[in-house]
Amino acid sequence: MKAPAFPESAVRARALSGPADAFPDPGSYGHTLYGADPGHAAYDWIDRLRLVPPVFVPHRLEKLVELAREPLYRDVELDTTVGGFRSTLPVYLSAFGSTRAASVDLGVAASRQAGVLGIPMVIGENITPVNGYGRIEESELEKSMLTRVTAYAEQALDGYGGVVIQQSTEDADAEVWNLVYSDPNVQPLLESGRLGFELKVGQGAKPGLGGMTLLETTAAARLSDAYSIDPVFGSDTVLRSSSPGTFTDEILRQQIRLMRNNYPRARIWVKLPPARDIHAASLVAWDAGADAVTVDGAESGTGWAPVGFLEHVGLPLGECLRRIGEHPSCLLVSGRMWEGARVAKCLALGATAAGLGRAALIAVDTDPENGLVNLVECLSLELQMLTSAMGKYHVGSLSPEDVWSPA
Amino acid sequence: MIEAQQTQVTRPLPGGPREHLSSPVTRSVLTIQHRMLIAAREYLRGIGCTEMLAPVIGPVTDPGARGAKQVDVDYYGHRFKLMTSAILYKQASLTTFDKIFFIAPNIRLEPLETASTDRHLAEFHQIDVEMANTSREEIMAVAEGLVRHIVREVSTELPGELAALGRDTEAYAELVHHPFDQRTHSDAVTDLHKLGHDQSPDAEIDWQGEKLLSEQVTRPFFITDYPKGSRGFYDRENQQRPGFLRNFDLIAPEGYGELCSGSERESDYATIISRMRETGENPSKYGWYLQMLRDGIPPSAGFGLGLERFTRYVAGLESVWQATAYPKIPGIPSP
Repeated sequence: MKAPAFPESAVRARALSGPADAFPDPGSYGHTLYGADPGHAAYDWIDRLRLVPPVFVPHRLEKLVELAREPLYRDVELDTTVGGFRSTLPVYLSAFGSTRAASVDLGVAASRQAGVLGIPMVIGENITPVNGYGRIEESELEKSMLTRVTAYAEQALDGYGGVVIQQSTEDADAEVWNLVYSDPNVQPLLESGRLGFELKVGQGAKPGLGGMTLLETTAAARLSDAYSIDPVFGSDTVLRSSSPGTFTDEILRQQIRLMRNNYPRARIWVKLPPARDIHAASLVAWDAGADAVTVDGAESGTGWAPVGFLEHVGLPLGECLRRIGEHPSCLLVSGRMWEGARVAKCLALGATAAGLGRAALIAVDTDPENGLVNLVECLSLELQMLTSAMGKYHVGSLSPEDVWSPA
Repeated sequence: MIEAQQTQVTRPLPGGPREHLSSPVTRSVLTIQHRMLIAAREYLRGIGCTEMLAPVIGPVTDPGARGAKQVDVDYYGHRFKLMTSAILYKQASLTTFDKIFFIAPNIRLEPLETASTDRHLAEFHQIDVEMANTSREEIMAVAEGLVRHIVREVSTELPGELAALGRDTEAYAELVHHPFDQRTHSDAVTDLHKLGHDQSPDAEIDWQGEKLLSEQVTRPFFITDYPKGSRGFYDRENQQRPGFLRNFDLIAPEGYGELCSGSERESDYATIISRMRETGENPSKYGWYLQMLRDGIPPSAGFGLGLERFTRYVAGLESVWQATAYPKIPGIPSP
């Protein structure tokens, strides 16, 4: 039988493998970082924007007066505040989650380099329930959250950065935040105002679903109390799935207030999925006292997601920024960030800083010693050149006037 | 580089167990505490309460302790918890008796900053009372009566022990003879702002704020109507004033701070589920409790009165660790 005008081969693959075909090949798990194909599916408005310099540059004149010489791109200041933390540039290290691709060595290498760079770092949900914390469980030490925190803190640039710990609905059972907040090892971060907690309201790669990873059947048994374990692949590999968590505006508002109540010395971040009510949800979060709202554009990331979600679900980041519109608060964005132009466009559209996820993992996979530092230093230079081209000398001055949309 | 550091306290710490246990101060304090427990049992039996023994471990415990970590127990391969408070069990116990109390041990791994408040212990006890079909006002009257009875008994029966500790019983005169005042959380926030203290209107009165308010008064007073988002899911929301809870704290005078927290309890299944989500809890781990709610638990009100804090106030002690034989100061490993 032939069906040339129909996705015949895809149907045949599904006819052979059943529900497992909703996902990428499990054999690629831990080695491949998936994402929406920017040339195919998402049509992100940001990709079509251009940064457009002006002829008349009154801010350059101000800088000229200040410096008593013509300003150059290296005169652009990048130092900024990201979700309550001082940062050397408007960039932070996104959460990697507990997926195998991000575990152990790469996570620790990225943490250490983020500390060196003086940028904030987010540690993902599910790390503690899945990999352990690392205070007593010595055999788990290398995989633990505490190892990442320690790697960061040992290298942290004085006065800069911060560590933000995510917690999802399932993490609440392990009391990740309570554990961290009362841990003697974390006190120096807390006392220097460099500890934050991020409430994970949704997923970037699979908005509307909870976190997903693949596990060996034997390892899954230990976690079956806390997570859904789905034998969808019919093999030794199973799908571990978190719930998306149930939120209403009142639930979100009160959870944030409770975080502020329980952890008065920590910064509070809220991570939202690229959802259709992103504007309303952002306003609730800021109004309830969140120091930052993080929006993860539907670009996928370091986690595992169904194929259909990668291509068809969630707002592109540009549309999220358009819907949120003007606001006076801290808005952090992530999704396919790695170089200066996309970051600069997001800053011009209202973002405060951009998060590096897949780019950071690839960078430390390329060079575990300096990969992330090199990547960020290049991004930093690009940001300085782009900002100075707009006739501005602080990266926070980028604004909608600096971008042009073809239609 | 950020270096790890240990708990820092400004006050003197207890010496070794022999020094602490054999100290005349400890002996006087524990004698007073012994009499306080006798008086508590007298009073509560007198109003018809049955004393029950509190559970020590369970699949879940009270999540409403701000920022404190629960202690996990490996119970035959299941993650169990040591009780941070017996609140859920108090409600369940009302299917046996209408009025109950526990003298309940609690464990809370408090944030390390509490080591210097003079008011926090990682291991402590509460006089835990719960009464079916009781309003907040009625349970506040019970708390007030209980505190007054205990203080009166100690000051009458143990003047020598109090004198040995240098505690002037005149400090209790107003407590014994005058009703306790009340103010709402909103008013307490306003009072703190007038005192120059930066208190969030959406949060618990912080430890320093409680101390400041406590220093202003000469007899205990209640703070009522805490905002939702500052307490656990079991404190009932005021239907006439949404966003605020039908709860209370009892604050001691002379800077001793909070002694007791209580509330009318939420007992409606669907409301509890929503409130669990509002407090970031995962309802699936509360299976046994939710099933009891579905099958029906009487509406109730209750409170937990911190025994060591109350002893500290009655005996006029500098730190709460002096009010226990085996002090566990947050962050400090000790027997």
